[in-house]
Amino acid sequence: MFKYILGRIGAMLLTLFLVMTLSFWIIRLMPMSIFENPEVSPEIQKKLEDRMHLHEPMAVQYFYFIEGIAVRGDFGTSVKIRPGLDVFEILSTRIPATVVLNAFSLILSIPLGILFGSWAALKRNKWADNIISFWIVICISVPSFVFASLLQYFLTFVWPVFPTLYNAQAANFGAQLYSMILPIIALSLNPIASIARYLRGELIETLSSDFMLLARTKGLTQGEATMKHAFRNSLVPIANTIIPMITGIMGGSLVIEKMFAVNGMGGLLIDSILAGDHFLTVALLIFYSAISLFTILVVDISYGIIDPRIRVGGRA
Amino acid sequence: MKIYDVHQPLPEELSQLPDEMFQLQVREHGFDEIGKSNSAGFYRDALRRLRQNKASVISFWIILTIILLAIIVPNVTGYTYTQQNVSGKNLPPKIPGLERIGIADGTMVLTNRKKDSLSNPKRFPEGSIVEVVREYQANKVAVVDVKVDYYKYCKIDEGEYHWFGTDYLGRDILTRLFMGARVSLLIAFISVITNVVIGVIYGSVAGYYGGKVDMFLTHFAEVLDGLPYIVVTILFMLLFGSGMFSIILALTVTGWIGTARLTRAQFYRFKGREYVLAARTLGVPDRKLIFRHILPNSIGPLITRAMIAIPGAIFSESFLAYIGLGIKPPEPSIGTLLSVGQSVLLQYPYQTLFPAVLISVLMVAFNLFSNGLRDAMDPTLRGEEG
Repeated sequence: MFKYILGRIGAMLLTLFLVMTLSFWIIRLMPMSIFENPEVSPEIQKKLEDRMHLHEPMAVQYFYFIEGIAVRGDFGTSVKIRPGLDVFEILSTRIPATVVLNAFSLILSIPLGILFGSWAALKRNKWADNIISFWIVICISVPSFVFASLLQYFLTFVWPVFPTLYNAQAANFGAQLYSMILPIIALSLNPIASIARYLRGELIETLSSDFMLLARTKGLTQGEATMKHAFRNSLVPIANTIIPMITGIMGGSLVIEKMFAVNGMGGLLIDSILAGDHFLTVALLIFYSAISLFTILVVDISYGIIDPRIRVGGRA
Repeated sequence: MKIYDVHQPLPEELSQLPDEMFQLQVREHGFDEIGKSNSAGFYRDALRRLRQNKASVISFWIILTIILLAIIVPNVTGYTYTQQNVSGKNLPPKIPGLERIGIADGTMVLTNRKKDSLSNPKRFPEGSIVEVVREYQANKVAVVDVKVDYYKYCKIDEGEYHWFGTDYLGRDILTRLFMGARVSLLIAFISVITNVVIGVIYGSVAGYYGGKVDMFLTHFAEVLDGLPYIVVTILFMLLFGSGMFSIILALTVTGWIGTARLTRAQFYRFKGREYVLAARTLGVPDRKLIFRHILPNSIGPLITRAMIAIPGAIFSESFLAYIGLGIKPPEPSIGTLLSVGQSVLLQYPYQTLFPAVLISVLMVAFNLFSNGLRDAMDPTLRGEEG
């Protein structure tokens, strides 16, 4: 087990290193580089030059860049959004909102997905299944930002039930959360549907398998057999859908945060891309990678604990 | 009808029957019908199964209709997608025929107008006021919400119609929407085809040669696959700059890996078969073995995979548009239209509505169609996730 975890962490660090390498070369090779930009004040250019060791050869610069991030947590200096400020400082104020939004969406999605999926499977081909399956197709196909637009228009403008934008200055956490409900819903619809679809297929297959027949023969009721045997067997492969789901939620939250003015990393990333503040962009992307890789690591390890067979070769 | 037992001797009334009463009965079923119908090949069989899936058939026609509309509509609306009209900004939808029954009649409610200004023909031209919705006092001034014929209000010519309205530069949304559909579909198709070509070549080489080559190629793909998709796409979009070609490139950076993995697995399955060995013994070169003898086995799953990837590519394009890395401005795509519409969602909801409906319908149709295709190509996978 220990070796397995170590291997997973190693793979994660390698990926992170690759993201950093890619980021560095892309910043340096990009046309319209920030280093020769007349809009950037000489003071900041001087700072950048010192930090990036611009007088040294590329390879040495690359080394400094990696060393700065890995050893000192130094991601560079913001050029456009908050000129002269440390990128890391800007970042650290934006992380909590994103984490809260993503975490809530994840926490909401898993039980709801399991609920709808098993409901549809148990009522197979009845009206409940038909309705759920129809919604699954809709929720998987329609992009989260379209849902967000619909929710925003109907639930904040036509029937003003929720506030239009996220309110970070709200009096207490409850009120803050209340203004975050719509973005959370918009983000969760797709993951709920993917879990439900997966679980439905999985459970239908398990319900018709031989060991279920055996369970019935040995005297369990249908309900007992379903709970004790079918359900447990179907839940294990769910981890497979959770990993792509996490990346999906993270990506969706980029746009959703901007739409609902959640002061998280997503809105900042869009602003920094539009403004051409490359250090900030890259730092955000590295952070995004780190968070998503870390979540995947957690899922991977817990998967290894649930089902020891997985550990041998790593997740396929 | 009467039933007789064969084991009993023939009863009297039957043995007395004249010959004319008997009729020759021919068994209609159960004969081998060799040569009467063509044997169903894999694709014919798959097509038959696909046709039985109603949702897929409907989706197929919807997709075809949207493609046709994307080709035809921008040429017949009478506007070009860049044509601006400064006096006709943000016009609401107005459709001939439907306007008589009160839908899409080009009217809009203007709020907070001074009551005095209603009688001013410069502000409200003759006949532009439909009705006063609400009258109230604000800061001791009489204020009204008034429903106006926005086309007359903006002094647009009588016969001019914008079916889906116009945007903030007075450009016709109908034209731009289907022009955008054209761009989005083009991006999706080209990027998916590129991914399939690269993936097939990469996977074939890895799967066919095996050994060290395979190990190296597979590990390389695995490392690349570990990079978060969004991060890679954004980084490469930054590098390439905005534009259609850049989007296609960015979608290709890691997009081919799935196809490569699939092809490699298929090669491992088939390269050890006897017929391949026979071909090789006869001196068929590697290239021909790969493309003529082994690859055709994986065409079914490849087509399915490509179809499933198309809605993904459409989604990625609009996602990039949302974060400001989409297509270059005057050029529309469904994504850019959506993100522009989103910024004026509460004032002009129709500007979001039409692109949102189009992308939703397109995505649902592609998903249903590719699901049906997967079930048809591989019935054993039915109900599972691919």
